[in-house]
Amino acid sequence: MSSQVSQIRNEVDSEQASPTRPMPKWEPYLGWIYLVILVIAVAAMIWFPSNASAYSVTLALIVLMTISLATSWNFLSGFGGYTSFGHAGFFGIGSYVGALLLYYERTGWITAVILSGVATGVLALIIGYPTLRLRGPYFAVAMLGFTELFRVIVTSWDSLTLGGRGVFLPIVRFQQVEDGATWWDRFQVQVHNNQNYYAMLVLAVVAMILAYVIGTSRLGLELLAIRDDEVAAQSMGIRVVRVKITAFALSAVFPGIAGAINARQVGFIEPLTIFAVIWSIRAISTAILGGQGTILGPILGAIVLTLVSERVWESDPNLYQVIFGGLIVIVVLFMPGGFISLLQNWGVLPRSRRL
Amino acid sequence: MDTLQVILSGVLLGGVYALFAAGLNMIFGVMRVINLAHGELMMLGAYITFFASDQAGLNPLVSLPLSAAALLILGLLLQFALVERVVNQPLLSSLLLTFGLSTLMMGVALNLWTANYRSTAWAPLTGNWDVFGLAVSRSRFVAFVIALLVTGGTYLFLRRSTFGKAIRATSQNAEVAQICGIDVRRVRLVTFAMGSAMAAIAGSLIAMIFTISPEMGRMFIGKAFAIIVLGGLGSFVGALFGALSLGVGETLAAYWTNTQLAEGVAYVILLIVLLVRPSGFFGRAE
Repeated sequence: MSSQVSQIRNEVDSEQASPTRPMPKWEPYLGWIYLVILVIAVAAMIWFPSNASAYSVTLALIVLMTISLATSWNFLSGFGGYTSFGHAGFFGIGSYVGALLLYYERTGWITAVILSGVATGVLALIIGYPTLRLRGPYFAVAMLGFTELFRVIVTSWDSLTLGGRGVFLPIVRFQQVEDGATWWDRFQVQVHNNQNYYAMLVLAVVAMILAYVIGTSRLGLELLAIRDDEVAAQSMGIRVVRVKITAFALSAVFPGIAGAINARQVGFIEPLTIFAVIWSIRAISTAILGGQGTILGPILGAIVLTLVSERVWESDPNLYQVIFGGLIVIVVLFMPGGFISLLQNWGVLPRSRRL
Repeated sequence: MDTLQVILSGVLLGGVYALFAAGLNMIFGVMRVINLAHGELMMLGAYITFFASDQAGLNPLVSLPLSAAALLILGLLLQFALVERVVNQPLLSSLLLTFGLSTLMMGVALNLWTANYRSTAWAPLTGNWDVFGLAVSRSRFVAFVIALLVTGGTYLFLRRSTFGKAIRATSQNAEVAQICGIDVRRVRLVTFAMGSAMAAIAGSLIAMIFTISPEMGRMFIGKAFAIIVLGGLGSFVGALFGALSLGVGETLAAYWTNTQLAEGVAYVILLIVLLVRPSGFFGRAE
């Protein structure tokens, strides 16, 4: 009996811990702090290729891609609590839209990349309407199904997508720096030779800024309310369907664009590898490791996990699955809030929505 | 006659689907957990049958109980150590947990057995029987009969036995069941183990009919979802109905178009049902 009482008391204590501990003084300035860090980081990332090996640039590109995937997954699934297994599907569709526009020489590459994002965003609106009206497990199940359906359609629509043979993309021709070139000429050549890297950098920055905007906005609050109790949220006047579909469409744009840039980077895509569930695994495991429903979590998770795992991935892609599957299990059971909530529980970080 | 032939082989396939989906549905009914690792449990069952035949020369009908027993034990362990912890937690946790398990098991299988497709052929079950001018594939027919026996047996167990009643009670309302003195923890343990064993048997039967690979689970879990959404989440009879419909629908689609597109039938059904009647045709509205 006494142990029960103390347990209840502990629960009450831990519930009260957050409001009683005052927010640190720097908390209201977090947005500015982020901005400064972001500007410095972006400047460093712009400079980075001039002094790094091709391998390091590729690795940095993968980190940036993972940041985009994890952060955008977090929009609906982290804040809103609707687990989506559909990132692989949007990634694949984006890859194919971008790759085919380039293959048939319909648009320039920047337009192609942007159109891939538009395509997946619109697709999410169409899918979201029937599936997000439903509560509970239906959405998750439907998204697994959609990813498979997309793969089947792309594989069978041979005349347009070249089917299982895959698509080769036109390669980026490297430019050489001429003797006596100014630093600006050198920089232009550097941007040209690493254009996929710079495109991914822009994408990741946009994703991170959007994460902050959503996380601190009314939309973010509404999503959190839906996650905690959808019926209550609805009865408080939140238009739950509209909120969910908005978050879903925003979250679908990023894997689409990332897919198109990635397709250009690797130069060849085919349905089996591009619609592989591994892209969803990447987004989900990094986001939940860092902390779902937080702004910083997915970014943190993406940086840590990509740098650690890339060597494993190279040595054996199957081992990657084992490790990431195991990681998801461990995170769900033992640290469901990820890094961020771990640090919050230790009192290192405040319980701020700006994190 | 051709169409009839196609429908027949669809029905035979549907039996195995029913067995697989019924286990998934039972687990969902009792603990509101969508077991995304169900396909991988099936895959393990299929590999047990394959290796028993390939290494020890056992015929699939002998290795069937072996794979069922092995997965029964694995199911007990999984439920005891992992899944039990996420019951009654937000759906997110159980989805992510079983997704992680699924990824883990598939990764282990890919490492151990490579991504190669493998097949088990047992001489007495190759070829067809000729019934009134219809060719009945022997392996499919035997698989169908076994699947129906196991599914039917499970149904009777749920309907007639006391423990089955406890499972159904927990499925209807776990809290009230607990108040009435049912050990819901044990019910969940038994249900998950039974579901795993059913998946294993389905896997062994699939190994008799099709080629198998570590990635087969992902394909079948999609089909199983279409089936239980069609029949209604948590409804046993619905799962049987859904499975037969999908089996016939797929084989007809393969006959009229190609096998590539037939794979998409399950997902098209899934989407249409979600749009038109999300509670399925035998389920209660949530």
